[in-house]
Amino acid sequence: MGEPGLRLVPAGGGADVDVLVGRVARGDASAFEALYDELSSAVFGLARRVVRDPARAEDVTQEVFLEVWRKAARFDSGLGRAKTWVMTIAHRRAVDAVRRSESQKRQDERTAPEEVSHDEPADAVIAAEEQGAVRECLETLTDLQLESVRLAYFNGYTYSEVATLLEKPLPTIKTRMRDGLIRLRDCLGGHR
Amino acid sequence: MSTDLHTLSGAYAIDALSEEEAREFDRHLEECPACREEVRELRAAAAQMGAAEALAPPPALKSRVLAAADQLPQLPPRVSRLEAVRKRRWSAWLVAAAAVVVLALGGGVAVFESQRGENQSGFAATVAQVFQAGDARTKTVQTAHGSLTVATSPSMGRMAVRTDGLKPLSGRHVYQLWAIHSGVPTSAGVVKNLRAGAAMAMPSRGTTVAITVEPEGGSEQPTTAPFVRVDPRSV
Repeated sequence: MGEPGLRLVPAGGGADVDVLVGRVARGDASAFEALYDELSSAVFGLARRVVRDPARAEDVTQEVFLEVWRKAARFDSGLGRAKTWVMTIAHRRAVDAVRRSESQKRQDERTAPEEVSHDEPADAVIAAEEQGAVRECLETLTDLQLESVRLAYFNGYTYSEVATLLEKPLPTIKTRMRDGLIRLRDCLGGHR
Repeated sequence: MSTDLHTLSGAYAIDALSEEEAREFDRHLEECPACREEVRELRAAAAQMGAAEALAPPPALKSRVLAAADQLPQLPPRVSRLEAVRKRRWSAWLVAAAAVVVLALGGGVAVFESQRGENQSGFAATVAQVFQAGDARTKTVQTAHGSLTVATSPSMGRMAVRTDGLKPLSGRHVYQLWAIHSGVPTSAGVVKNLRAGAAMAMPSRGTTVAITVEPEGGSEQPTTAPFVRVDPRSV
């Protein structure tokens, strides 16, 4: 973890997400709106990437923000940053949605190209900074680490499904997934 | 700690465990602070990876979300991790006991613990402990609904209230505790058993504790005026 004082501050001087969540916890609707403005692109983008269908990604985004609204008083700032909390909820919800629908049909998306464009003007500055660091850091992972992390995180596969897909032993995938995330963490920490 | 289990932290952090495995790992986390820290850090890294996918949603979604939130009540704060661990350990006792609620006050977190007054072990001891602390200060106030006794102990950093002097309400109403900071009330829980009493960490300066009568089940915001309001620092 980097120095708290050196963390990346959005270029546009965006509102502090932690402060906003604290206000949302007290029922502040204007803070909730500001929080939506601040994080809806991150949440929707991730949901869209995981569930793929834009309409369902909207539903997931709505679920995420309503959960944030409901549970803001339960967010514990001692356990991490509010943005991480929101993105963790977003990922959980997106994966749940994809797993629900996968029982109906699961297209094998393991090699699907990114179909999402990233040239949204509103978030261009912030996103570019974050994206640059993330992309650079993902390049430090080994192929197997990267593949394991991406299949799980962006496609919603469990690690045992990943092992099957990649035809690797379970313990190998389990370890690669963890090692990959540790490498990502360490690299991103160095970017702050 | 099983090394084998520990290496699941990565998969756990990115929701790649089956439900059953995730539950098992949840239990493991309660016993393993190092694992909790690792999961936190890996989630933060994953969150950044996710946020790098940012894509603006259709503008119409915003009004839908705001309108839906407007109709949705918020949940009160929850038990802290420590309380959750205890709760599991003493689940048999707690089944019979009343609610345990955590109350967020400004930056700090205070814990209200409601319990049966007659039980002298576990949580119940905390109310008694505050009252019996060497430096305890107590104050009894008469209210329209009976008497309420408040104790504070600077050495324990806690306060406690005894509610057994309050008159029982009809089944349709309950007493609800509130922490009021800068004029904003936050629910601190419903008093389910008057003999229980409640204990909490000493609230931050400027926070007062109030009690209102609310419809059964409690309210998101007070619907009646408090019949008693106590500044813990004036006890």
